[in-house]
Amino acid sequence: MSVSADWGWQRVALAGVRDALSLPAWIVGFGLVGIGSLAHDVGYPVGSAVLSTILVWAGPSQVLFFASIAAGAAWSAIAIAVAFASLRFLPMTVAILPLLRRPGQSVWLQLLLAHYVAVTAWTEGLRRLPSIPVHQRVVYFLGFANTCMALSSIGTFSGYYLLGQLPLPFAAGLLCLTPIFFLVSLTAGLRHRGDVTALVLGLVLAPICQRFIGGGFDLIVAGLIAGTVAVFVGQRRKPA
Amino acid sequence: MTQPIAWLDGPLWPYLALILFAVLPTEIWRWLAVVFARGLDADSALLDWVRAVATALLAGIVAKLIVSPPGVLAQAPILVRIGALAAAVAVMALSRRRMMLAVLMAEAVLIGGVWLFGSA
Repeated sequence: MSVSADWGWQRVALAGVRDALSLPAWIVGFGLVGIGSLAHDVGYPVGSAVLSTILVWAGPSQVLFFASIAAGAAWSAIAIAVAFASLRFLPMTVAILPLLRRPGQSVWLQLLLAHYVAVTAWTEGLRRLPSIPVHQRVVYFLGFANTCMALSSIGTFSGYYLLGQLPLPFAAGLLCLTPIFFLVSLTAGLRHRGDVTALVLGLVLAPICQRFIGGGFDLIVAGLIAGTVAVFVGQRRKPA
Repeated sequence: MTQPIAWLDGPLWPYLALILFAVLPTEIWRWLAVVFARGLDADSALLDWVRAVATALLAGIVAKLIVSPPGVLAQAPILVRIGALAAAVAVMALSRRRMMLAVLMAEAVLIGGVWLFGSA
């Protein structure tokens, strides 16, 4: 949905809400249903599951946190694993903030905006924000991201009580929604050969690095190699 | 199961653990990004690289979730998990990037696959 420059903020926010409800919010919402069940499995209260969705706002980190507790990992190891898995937010957030920035914006607002950065808001934001008038982007982004977060909180809450009751194929289907949606979102945002290279190399290198490096460093090594190669591949096509 | 840290244990422990070992290690990168992003131009060459690394990291997460999956997803055979991803990419390529269709098709492959071939 396109946003016109003369719209008031309510209408812009509503456009964000609508775009989120057109698909992305439902997917994250269903995708985080699995978190509820993982929290339930380790005997943590439903509040901690829902709070993890609101405060961590990163499916893989949440999976790692609850699944590591179930596996009996040391607390320090859990924190380090989560930190490495979340490192992607540094480049992701650095990439999207310039689209949302305006002169005179407070640091607090930027910290708040940064908190919403996760795969959905990132891929959809990079795709949609450039066509939205600069002064309306923050409102649009907050409308979009808060809708995703609200549905996800409901999803996590429901999963805490429901997922254990589901037949195996459907429970597995819900847990697989996160990787499927990540991949579909990334595919939707591909612009040129460099992006394709980053995606394919990332997919291939991560399991290889996991096998041979491990210790939490594997993902970042895979990401740096794949990303750097991708930039070179992408540049070869550009006119000098 | 990881036991609570003894001297911090109590009814609020799950929340404390969540803040210390999940929220902080995740949020710190978003905060650092706010610092780094200052003064960066929206279409600088550095941002191209940053974006490519972020894309690769996300793809890496996908691969890891499929190769070593959480919870009951581990009971779906690996070929079914990979087949679901392949179905998603195929639909995206053939349908001019219709995301909803791609997600539904991938889920159909996964749920159908687990139903047919049971647990691995």
